[in-house]
Amino acid sequence: KSPGFNASYSMGRLHIEHMGGERVFSCANCDCPLTNRQQLISTRFTGATGRAFLFNRVVNLDTSELQDRVMLTGRHMVRDVSCRKCKTKLGWVYEFATEESQQYKEGKIILERALINESEGFPDPVKD
Amino acid sequence: LLELMENGSGCLNGSGAADSAEKAQQQQQCPAVQLSERNCEAVRVIGQYLRELGLARSAEALVLEAGCPLESGAAAQFRSSVLLGDWDGAEASLASLRRALWRESSWSEIAFRLAEQRYLELLESGAHIAALCVLRGKLTPLQFSPDRLHRLSGLIMCSGPEELRQLSGWSGAAGGTRQALLDSVEQFFPPSVMLPPKRLSVLLDQAVRAQVSRCRHHNTSLSPDQLTLLADHSCQAAASVPSVCSQVLDAHQDEVHVCQFSPNGRFLATGGRDCVAIVWLVEAAANPPGAPRVRHHLTLRIGEERGGVAWLAWSPDSRLLLACAAEEATEVIVWEAETGDCIKKLKHRDEDSLTTAAWLPDSNHFVVGGNRGHFYLCSVDVGFEKAWDFIRVVALATRREDDGGTAVLAADTFARIRRYRFDTMQDETLFREDGPVMSMSISQDETLLAVCVASAGVHLWDLRLRVCRRRLHGLTHGAYLLHASIGGPNQDFVASGSHDARVCVWHRGCQAGDGAQQHLLPDKLSGHGGLVSCVSWNPRHHGMLASASDDCTVRIWLPASLAAAALAASADGTGPGGAGFSSNGCCSSTVSKHQPPPLL
Repeated sequence: KSPGFNASYSMGRLHIEHMGGERVFSCANCDCPLTNRQQLISTRFTGATGRAFLFNRVVNLDTSELQDRVMLTGRHMVRDVSCRKCKTKLGWVYEFATEESQQYKEGKIILERALINESEGFPDPVKD
Repeated sequence: LLELMENGSGCLNGSGAADSAEKAQQQQQCPAVQLSERNCEAVRVIGQYLRELGLARSAEALVLEAGCPLESGAAAQFRSSVLLGDWDGAEASLASLRRALWRESSWSEIAFRLAEQRYLELLESGAHIAALCVLRGKLTPLQFSPDRLHRLSGLIMCSGPEELRQLSGWSGAAGGTRQALLDSVEQFFPPSVMLPPKRLSVLLDQAVRAQVSRCRHHNTSLSPDQLTLLADHSCQAAASVPSVCSQVLDAHQDEVHVCQFSPNGRFLATGGRDCVAIVWLVEAAANPPGAPRVRHHLTLRIGEERGGVAWLAWSPDSRLLLACAAEEATEVIVWEAETGDCIKKLKHRDEDSLTTAAWLPDSNHFVVGGNRGHFYLCSVDVGFEKAWDFIRVVALATRREDDGGTAVLAADTFARIRRYRFDTMQDETLFREDGPVMSMSISQDETLLAVCVASAGVHLWDLRLRVCRRRLHGLTHGAYLLHASIGGPNQDFVASGSHDARVCVWHRGCQAGDGAQQHLLPDKLSGHGGLVSCVSWNPRHHGMLASASDDCTVRIWLPASLAAAALAASADGTGPGGAGFSSNGCCSSTVSKHQPPPLL
């Protein structure tokens, strides 16, 4: 209908959250804010594109259906996560780990390093 | 107590009643009706009501036939003595009632009041000697309230009744003071001896108020004593709550994300992904009066590269319209609504993202902000004025404060709603929400704030008491931004968009039947073909609601009674906007094409 109409746009204006923080991670494709350094748990993970980070909480993600995957560390139930704004696949979230030693990952999110940008944020000035 | 009652009931030989024998005879002649205690109470209350209306004979007849005296014999004696001015008789009756008091200590007060009335009446009629006797012989020995006694003795110096009435604040023997004395004495006795004053009126008032609190669509300014007793009160939804779509405005080429009525109710601004803001005129049809219609006025363009109109804000004087663009928005534009002239294009820095705005009361200053951390105070005259650093703004509103300054209310990405004063650079956290805030809207009288919280509904915060008044549920959640609006003559109605393509309308004052205030469900208006993101109440035509949707249309909703009138006006072409489709960019829908909207 309109000259700027793009079928890949979602309907409505997406509600984009922002976690703030002094170092902000966002989607490398569309710059949608995702998480920050305070949420980073570990950098010693590997994804399809190479290095990957484990985060505690990430916002603005869509999740896929549950998948059964065997990884180096054992069998896990995971969901793929993608950027809510541009739909680029960014990593996955652990929902269930069969091995007890791996259960600390449940609920946490893996984002592949090559697919996210780190940028400068600012501290929250509110003290109360 | 029972003793006093029994003496007065049944055979009616209450203490001291002169014609009791006669009455007893009459009683035996009437057929005896056995009344339960509740029925007897009802009869007493009705009898009192009749007597207060001046229908004394009916009251007496009622008492005779039912055999339930309104009050004990001594009390009846007391009442008639006072009303006749027979003070000695009144005193005697009072003495016999002394046992019935709730508290013995109130005796002196009652005796004092009785003597006081006697004293004032004597003074008024000029019998100063007699008045002095009452003062010395009756009032002083009671030793009750020396202050009052002192004032009363001072009144002896009054030159005439006029001055007496003025100085004492007492309206005279003829001014209803005898009845007032009786009313004030009633509180000291249990209801079996004397009925509380105006008992039936009080009960009826309570019933009506309870009905009002259950009224789902209460939207009238009538006070409870003006409402009818003949049927349970409930406001006709048809007259006050919007339920019918009277117009579908399809001038937009893409999803419509914002709609806002101007504060004076004359304009409607809409905007969306097609990068235009459209200004519509609201016209109240002359024939019949009160049926408002909307007509296209101006189309204002913002640049194509800006991703669409994200927010529209009217200046408080309804003269200027401000538009913010979507995420990449570095510039806000201000137009004059009547002419469409672009008054200001405000840009501060290239990396700014200004997606929301609110005006200050002077219609010159406004605040803008976005979630990248830009939060500015600007003005139409000067442009950028001040920045408040490091606040990621999600929504803005302004509110006048007691000291004359204006507070800016900002919701941020940490789910806080904070208050900022750009003049004193003071800030304060007002509320913390328990989920991410999507949008915020303040009522026209600046007392209520409606906050849309993702996956949680609409929360109403009271800005004076600083508490959450209601949590409104029932709208369908999803990933997209929703806006709410508070409207109605008493800020009673809240509307919001919803992900199921319906408009939700709540009446916040209504208590659900089981008292579960928190779980009031909205009325849902169907008709749109896509997500409804934004709604706006017309501040002047209170039942008029606009909704903006992803189906590229804006719909106007009216209460059923008004809508029928509006459509009739357009059908015969005499109403404004009744001529054609393409010329004014809107088409009117007839009621028959739409399903009647489900009310729940």
